[in-house]
Amino acid sequence: MVQSALSRPGQRERYDSKIGQIDWVFVALLLMVAGIGALIQYSVGGMSWEPWAYTQLRNFALFLTMALILAVVDLRFWLWMAYPAYAVSLILLVLVELFGDTRMGAQRWLEFGPVSFQPSEFMKLAIVLALAQFYHERKPEDANWSWWLLVPALMIAVPSGLVMHQPDLGTAMLIMLTGGAVMVLAGLNWKAIAAAAVGAAASIPLAFFFILHEYQRKRILTFLNPEGDPSGDGYHILQSKIAMGSGGLLGKGLGLGSQSQLNFLPEKHTDFIMAAVCEELGMVGGAMVLLLNGLIIIMALRMAALSHSHFGRLAASGAIATYACYVLINGAMVMGLFPVVGIPMPMVSYGGSVMLTVMAGFGLILGVKVHRYQELPKQSSLLAAFE
Amino acid sequence: MAEMSIVFNDINKSQGVFTRRAFLMGGFVAFGLVALTGRLAHLQILQGSKYSKMSVGNQFNFRVIPPPRGDILDRNGKVIAGNRPSFRVMIETNEVKDIDTTLDQVSYILPQTITMRRRILRDINQNKRSVPTLIAGDLSWEDFSKVSLYAADIPGVVADMDQLRAYYHGGAFSHVVGYVSKINAADMKVQETRADADLNLLHHPSFRIGKQGIEKSFDNVLRGTAGGRKIEVDAGGKVVGEDGDGSIPPEPGTDVTLTLDLDIQNRALEAFGTDSGSAVMMNIHSGEVICMLSAPSFDPNLFVSGISSKAYRVLADYERKPLLDKSVGSTFAPGSTFKMATALAILDAGIDPEEQVFCRGGLQSGNRFFRCHGVHGAVNMRNAHKFSCDTYFYAMCNRAGVDRIAKFAGKLGLGHVFDSFEIGGQKKGLIPTEQWKREWFNGSTRARHLDPKWHPGETLSVAIGQGYVNVSPLQLAVFTARIANGMKAVEPHLVRKIGDQVIDHTKEYADLGIPKAHLDIVRGGMWAVSNEPGGTGRTNSQLDLGPNIQISGKTGTAQVRGYDKAGTRKAAEWKYKDHGLFVCFGPSDAPKYACAVVVQHGVAGGRFAAPKAREIMRLAMIKDPEIQKRITGPVNTALDKAALERGEVAGASDMPNEGLRAEAPPGD
Repeated sequence: MVQSALSRPGQRERYDSKIGQIDWVFVALLLMVAGIGALIQYSVGGMSWEPWAYTQLRNFALFLTMALILAVVDLRFWLWMAYPAYAVSLILLVLVELFGDTRMGAQRWLEFGPVSFQPSEFMKLAIVLALAQFYHERKPEDANWSWWLLVPALMIAVPSGLVMHQPDLGTAMLIMLTGGAVMVLAGLNWKAIAAAAVGAAASIPLAFFFILHEYQRKRILTFLNPEGDPSGDGYHILQSKIAMGSGGLLGKGLGLGSQSQLNFLPEKHTDFIMAAVCEELGMVGGAMVLLLNGLIIIMALRMAALSHSHFGRLAASGAIATYACYVLINGAMVMGLFPVVGIPMPMVSYGGSVMLTVMAGFGLILGVKVHRYQELPKQSSLLAAFE
Repeated sequence: MAEMSIVFNDINKSQGVFTRRAFLMGGFVAFGLVALTGRLAHLQILQGSKYSKMSVGNQFNFRVIPPPRGDILDRNGKVIAGNRPSFRVMIETNEVKDIDTTLDQVSYILPQTITMRRRILRDINQNKRSVPTLIAGDLSWEDFSKVSLYAADIPGVVADMDQLRAYYHGGAFSHVVGYVSKINAADMKVQETRADADLNLLHHPSFRIGKQGIEKSFDNVLRGTAGGRKIEVDAGGKVVGEDGDGSIPPEPGTDVTLTLDLDIQNRALEAFGTDSGSAVMMNIHSGEVICMLSAPSFDPNLFVSGISSKAYRVLADYERKPLLDKSVGSTFAPGSTFKMATALAILDAGIDPEEQVFCRGGLQSGNRFFRCHGVHGAVNMRNAHKFSCDTYFYAMCNRAGVDRIAKFAGKLGLGHVFDSFEIGGQKKGLIPTEQWKREWFNGSTRARHLDPKWHPGETLSVAIGQGYVNVSPLQLAVFTARIANGMKAVEPHLVRKIGDQVIDHTKEYADLGIPKAHLDIVRGGMWAVSNEPGGTGRTNSQLDLGPNIQISGKTGTAQVRGYDKAGTRKAAEWKYKDHGLFVCFGPSDAPKYACAVVVQHGVAGGRFAAPKAREIMRLAMIKDPEIQKRITGPVNTALDKAALERGEVAGASDMPNEGLRAEAPPGD
C-alpha cells in the first residue's frame, strides 16, 4: 500500500481530517446554483417564500447535510453496496411495473404508507455504482472490447427498458446516457462507440414509430415544427422562447418577468425555470447558471481523475455525467433545441426527488475526493470490504 | 517508480485511459455549455426585440370599447333615437368554480333569472371563457343596487353599465327610423368582408346593427369607431391591470337629422288610432318628407335586446300588419286620386276642359256597364273632379289612350322608385301600358287566360285608378307635391343633416314639363273638391284656421275586389272593405305642403282619410312661421277666389325653400 508522505498512518481515517479534505469551493458552487434556484422560486411564486422557495431551500439544506455525511463515508461501503443497491432498484422497478401507482398517465410511483417515491430516481445512482464496480473488477482490456461488455450493456438495457415502459422517456434516456458515459470513460473501444452512435441514430426512426407513445411522438413533431400549432403543443416552446428572448441582456428584473409572472410560461417553477431565469435576470443570469454548472462538472471530473481507485474514478465521473446530462438536455429543451422530455434543471427547478438524486451523487463525488488515496480490493464480498 | 508501474500496470493503464476520456468528456460538456450560451445570445440579444414585442403582445390586450351610436334627430333637433344607460349583471366564467352554484346564488337576488337558466348556460358554452356572459340585462335601479351590493360576495359575478339604443317615441317612427338588433350570421358575413370591418367591434357582445330604415341605411354613419382599453392580462385572459395612458377613446357615431317633424308625426299617429294605413306629408319645393307614418305601428325598443318569438309572432300574424312599412312597401289602387293624371292626359290630347259629359250613373262600354258612384248630370272636367264623377273619365279616357295616361302618371311620380330616397323597401307599384300588358302576358303564366291586347274597357278602369293601377302612399304624396309645385319634379328626402353638414335637396330637380294652364285646371278642380259646396272632400278638409288658409284635395275610394263577388262596398269583414284615400296640398293659394293618406279598408276617402290628412296639414300650417303669420294676420288679405277657382297658385317653384324652420319653432 502506497501512503502519502504527508500523513501519518490512520490519520486519514479520522473524521476531522476527512472533513478538512472536503472540497469546500465545490460546495460553495453548489450553494450558488441552489441560491439562484431559490431566488427564482421566490420570484415566480409571486415574490413569496411560499409555495416553492422555502421548501426548496429546506430540501437543499437537508440534502446538503446528507451529501456532506456521505462524503466522509468510506469508499469500501459504496463498493460493498453497489450491486445490492442496483438489485434493489431493479426489483423496485419491476414492482412499479406490477403494482405502481399511476399519476398523470405514467406508472412511476411506488407507495409505502405515507412515503411515495420513484424507483427510477434511485436507479440513476445505482447504475453508476454497479457499472463502476463491474469495471473496477475487470481488466482494462476487457473494458475496451470483449464478451464481458455484454454484462454492462444488459445492466443498462434492463432498467432503462423498464423505465421507458412506464413510460418515462426522459429518465430512461438519462439512465442510458449515464451508463453509456461510464462505459466510454472506462475505455470502450472507439469503433464500438462509433458503432453504437450510428446504431442509436438509426434506431431513432424505429423508436419513433414503434416504441414511443402518441404524446411522445407529438412532442417530437412539435419540436421539429413548433410554429405549426402555437396555441397547442408548440405553446410551451414558443412561450419559453418569448420569455428568454424578451429578457434581453440584463433581464426584466426579479419579479417583473411578464411571461413567468402572468403564467404565459408553462411549468415556470419546474422544467422551464431556466426560461424564467433568463427572462428576469437576462442573458447574464442564464449564462451564470451555465457557467457555474460548467465549473461544477469540470471540478467533479478533476476530483474523479484524482482517485487512486478505478471504482472511485468511474463512480464520481458517472455521477457527474448524470448531472451534466440534466443540465445540457434541460438547457437545450428550454431553448428550443431539443424536444420537451420532462427533464428539469437540477437544483434550480423545484422538486425534491431530483435534488435528492443529484445531491447523493455530489456526496459520492466529494467522498471520492476525500478518499482519493484509498485503494480498493477487487473482490466485492462483505468480507473483502472490511478485511 | 519503474517497479511500481509494473506492479500496478493494470491500474495505471485504466487510469491513463480514464484521464484521457474524462478530459474528452469535460471538453464535450464545455462545448455543449458554450453552445447553449451561444443560443442564449442568439435568442436574447439578436432576436431580443422580436421576442420583446411578442411578450408585450402576450401581456397587453386591447379590450374593445364600443362607440356610442349617433343619435337620430327630428328636423328641430329633438332626439328620436338615442342611447340610454342599461344596468346589467354578467358572469365571468373563468372566475367561477361551479357555474350552477353561482347561478343559484344570483337567482336568490334576482328571481327572474331562474327562467333564463337555459339561455345563460347556452351562452356560457358558446362564449370564450375569457369573455363575460350576460346573466340579465336592463335591470331596474333597485335590482341593480341589490346585485351590486351582493356581487362582491359571489366571485365571478359583476354588475356594470352598458349603453342601449332607445327609441323615445315608440311606434311613431318605427318604420322610418327602423331599429337596431344583435347581428345575425348573415349580416356578420357581409360586415366581415368589408374593407374597413372592425372584427373586434362586430363580435363585441353589446354591438348592435341597424336592421331597418334609417338605422340600416345610415348604419356606417351612426356606428362610430370603437376605442380600446389597454389592459394587462395573464395567460388565462384574466385582467390583472390597466394602462390608462395606452387606451384609445371610442369615436361616437355621427348624428343624423331627419326632415321629419316629431309633433306632426305624433299627431298623425294619434289621428290613425287603430286604423291601418299610411300618411306621407312633404314640402313641395324641397321634397323634404315632414311626416311619414305607417299604422298600426310597433315598439322598436322590443327589438334592441332581442324580441321574444311569441311577441314577434303576435306582431307578424296581426292582419293589419304592423311590421310592414306601408308608406313605401305597400301599394294600393289609388282610386279617384288618380283622376288628376287622367285629366292631364285628356288635356294633353287637346280636349276642351269645358266639354261636358252627361252622367246617368255610369257608362256602357262594350258588353259591360261601368258604374259611377252617383248620378251627376252634365259635368265638365272641373266638376268631374269636384264630384269625383267617374262617367266623365270613362267617356274621355279612350280619347287620350292608356299610354298617355301612364305617361302623365309617370311624370308625376307614380309607379316610380325614388333612388335618392334614404330608406329601402320601396315598391314600384304599377302604371299599366299597352306594352306592359303584352310583356306581362308573355312572361307570366298567371296572365295566360287573358288577352295580350289592351282593350279600351281596361282603360276605363285605369282612368279612375282601378284595375291594374297600383301605387304606394309615398308616390301619391310626391304626385300631389308635383301637381302643387307645377314646375319641378320634386323627389322625396328624409335626411336633412349628417352631423353638422346640411344637405340641400332643392337644386337637383328636373323640370316637370307639364303646361301650367293644364295644371291650373286640375288644381282648380282640387280646390273645388275641398272648398265648394258639393265637393266630395269639403266637409273634412276645413282646417279651421281662418279664411286665409285653405287646402285643395282629392278624395279616393279604391275597390278591394269586384262588388259582384264580395257583395257591397260596406262588406261586413274588415279585409273586404274599400280603401279610403285622400291627397291634398296647401295652402291652396300658395302651396307649400302636400299630403297623401291611405286608410286601408277605410271605406271612403272623404270620410275616413280626409280627416287624418286635415289634422296633419293643420299642424304643419300652425308650425310654419310664415303661414302662422297669415293665420293670425288681418282678414283683408283674403283670398282671390277667382284665382283659386282657376287653380292658379302663387310662386310655384320660385318660393324660397323655407318652412318649419328649426331656428324658430313656433308654439314650443
